[in-house]
Amino acid sequence: MTDRTPHRGLSRRKFAFTLGSALAAPAILSLPVRAQIARGSELVIGIWGGAQERIVREHCAKPLEERYGARFNYVLGGTVERRARAYAERGRPSFDIVYLNIFESRQAVRDGVTQAPSERVPQFAALYDVAKLGGYGVAFNPVTIVYDKRKVTTPITSWRDLWRPELRGRIIWPSYPGAQGTAALVMSARVWGGSEQAIDIGFRKIQELKPFAAIQGSQDQLFQMFDQGVGDVSVEFGSFTRSYAETRNPNIEVATPSEGQAIAMNVACITVGTRNQALAEEWVNLHLSAPCQLEFAQRIYYSPTVRNLTIPDALRTKLIVGEQQVAGLVDFDWDLIIRNQAAWTSRFNREIGG
Amino acid sequence: MLLLAFQPTGDSFAPLELTPSLEQFTIVFGDSYYPRVIGETLALAVGVTLSSVLLGYPIALWLVALPPHWRPLAMSIVLIPLLTNVVVRSLGIILLLAPDGIVNGAIGAIGLPPPGNMLFTHGAVGLALAQVFMPFMVLALYDNLAGIDHRLHEAAASLGASRVRRFFAVTLPLSLPGLRAGISVVFLMSSTAYVSATLLGGRKVRVIGMDVWSEALQNLQMPLASALAVVMLAIGVGATVLLAAFFARLTPWLAPTTRRPRAQRSLRPALARTLVIVGDLFGVASGRVLFVAAAALLVFPLVLVAVQSFNDVPQATVAGFRAFTWAWYERVLFAGAYLDSFATSIQLAACAVVCTLVLALPAAFALVRHPFRGRGALGAFWMLPLVLPHIAIGVGMLRLLQWYTAVPPFVGLLLVHVVLILPFALSLLRPTVEQLDRSLEQAAASLGAPPWRVFAHVVLPTIAPGLAVVAIITFLMSFGEVTLTSFLTTARMTTLPVRIYAEATFSLEPTVHAVSTLLIAATIALLAVVNRFVRLDRVWHR
Repeated sequence: MTDRTPHRGLSRRKFAFTLGSALAAPAILSLPVRAQIARGSELVIGIWGGAQERIVREHCAKPLEERYGARFNYVLGGTVERRARAYAERGRPSFDIVYLNIFESRQAVRDGVTQAPSERVPQFAALYDVAKLGGYGVAFNPVTIVYDKRKVTTPITSWRDLWRPELRGRIIWPSYPGAQGTAALVMSARVWGGSEQAIDIGFRKIQELKPFAAIQGSQDQLFQMFDQGVGDVSVEFGSFTRSYAETRNPNIEVATPSEGQAIAMNVACITVGTRNQALAEEWVNLHLSAPCQLEFAQRIYYSPTVRNLTIPDALRTKLIVGEQQVAGLVDFDWDLIIRNQAAWTSRFNREIGG
Repeated sequence: MLLLAFQPTGDSFAPLELTPSLEQFTIVFGDSYYPRVIGETLALAVGVTLSSVLLGYPIALWLVALPPHWRPLAMSIVLIPLLTNVVVRSLGIILLLAPDGIVNGAIGAIGLPPPGNMLFTHGAVGLALAQVFMPFMVLALYDNLAGIDHRLHEAAASLGASRVRRFFAVTLPLSLPGLRAGISVVFLMSSTAYVSATLLGGRKVRVIGMDVWSEALQNLQMPLASALAVVMLAIGVGATVLLAAFFARLTPWLAPTTRRPRAQRSLRPALARTLVIVGDLFGVASGRVLFVAAAALLVFPLVLVAVQSFNDVPQATVAGFRAFTWAWYERVLFAGAYLDSFATSIQLAACAVVCTLVLALPAAFALVRHPFRGRGALGAFWMLPLVLPHIAIGVGMLRLLQWYTAVPPFVGLLLVHVVLILPFALSLLRPTVEQLDRSLEQAAASLGAPPWRVFAHVVLPTIAPGLAVVAIITFLMSFGEVTLTSFLTTARMTTLPVRIYAEATFSLEPTVHAVSTLLIAATIALLAVVNRFVRLDRVWHR
């Protein structure tokens, strides 16, 4: 007995230590991870070129370069190419962060290509709920009806207004797939009693709108078409259209339909298998920080996805701000949409675009 | 890519099946949609090819007729557009046709009502494609026309044939081989092109390249995309074979075996006489009109791009000059990472050229000097990347990306560029090697020079000008490649054209025009350097 006592005591201490460590482990793991970032780490970011790249260079890359001597490499291009590459590299990514659109990002998490968001990013707590799905929503960029107010004299207040007889032959329909085309298709189904599950009515109602003045494949193309007077109404991102209206064509109006604008969101997604987890999370946190969000709002009218931000009043009216307005954005069943994308593309090409 | 085309399912994570399945082809031919798009694409390609012929002939004839010392300068009109980025040239066409653009302005100025909507039509896409591919036609024709014996023209003229009649009776038949080469290249390239159609067609113009892109990347349906590409490849090969057969019938004198020439059907004399009179009346004038149109089409878009680079407008495609600004140049040179990309592009292109020359030179010698069985087939195999649409190679590469990323990024990109430019290098080097005088080498060898010395002191100096030309042309090609590089570019390896293309996917600012203008200036400078080594008009001359 005597020789056992000290052993038992040690064992108890050991047990307590083990238990304590086990309990403490999650807490340690969820501590701010700054200490783990080695100097001179590198991050590969897949993002759009132009203004977007310039803003993140200034507001995300610069502070981290100063703090950690970190280096940043950008793979520039459209979402489509970026997503295709991230899928091709699943499990062994060359990207640490890829920026995707709302529907691609949720699917990418489900497919094991990118990570679900986590509280390790401090600004995660400030995100609107809808921006916490499939990565970190970094900007709301809703899709809505835009039109030339000289030609469309009665203001558009509903998605159903697209079916006004006088607009026949003057609509520039957005091509599908794509954020604008998806929003236009699903909203068409919804306002006429259908849904993502019952998309047929959407296709049939869009067919009623034919002939279209044109089919647009990108915002740049739509703006050229407006410049030329090819058509008078389309479905497009409100943010870019506002910039266009302010700099090029004051006759263009961004509608606020009673059924709501269709949600679209840029999402920062950290890849599964990244070797720079901590640095990537810091990057995302900086993207969600006030200066960066404000810069995006001022420069290209991207609406912020975090609640803890004060926005100048003049800017506020041009954005989607606050719980109520964000809740007013129409969200879709993206899972279903993605699953049907190939089939819907085929149908769109044959019945509408062709 | 072939393997992908015969996969049963479209799931991008499914392992590759080795048993072929025709599933994807039943989708392609299952209803009228894809056949219709393919038909539309081919019709567009035929239109582009025909207009390239119409516009290319006057330019090629003009080049041949010029005094030799003017030819290099004139040749640069063709070479500079050829070596300028496709996106940028399409932008030039947008500026040309925009409602506030030059064409509308010019028509308005002479008192006619401006046509207004010219963009987003088949015509606009056709024009852009003609601008992009016509230089190939000119080069192919020039090559051939320059070889026609002058005395034939003189003989015809002395017999009283007018200029127009000489063209149809002498020049046209003798230039048929060049025409065949030009038609094949332009047709193949315009049937797989999709960038111009995307930018200028506004989705009303559907070409099969867009569907390949959309199925492969937007819907991740690689097998279907590959099947479409395979169908296009088959059509391309079929078209080449048909063209060869057709032209062989037109040029019986070129056939290797002497067949008895079939009796030629000729026109009735009265009809022929009327045709000659009509031709004489309008031939020269319409030739001039076509020439001016062709020259304008080649040069104007680039001039507009240069002008636009100083224009103070928010987006790249806004036509009409508002105010002068240096802002875009400032952004290119001081603000963005354009210079980094520029450095990457330069390094990549330089290395690609060195590797290509190291590979192409022995290959050229082997093909020229050592006749062996299957030489023709091997030569054709080397040319394969020329026929395959780049987008399809990109789709194939995507599947290999996992292995590809294991290679250091620079090496990977380098390999792909070498594969792409090798066929051009080879086809340019072959004539250089063919022209070598073997007796010089034999003389050196008989004087006791070992082979390496013969090569260093005799062969190399003789082919140096040719090598320099090949180096610079392939350099520019590698420097400008975007379709495939944008699939494979990695973070540290963003080339300049990929950066331009990336900006086009978001919102185009006039910075792209500034970049392009700098590139055009650099191209002109490079061509001037080539011109010091060898006259530009000899560059494509085999």
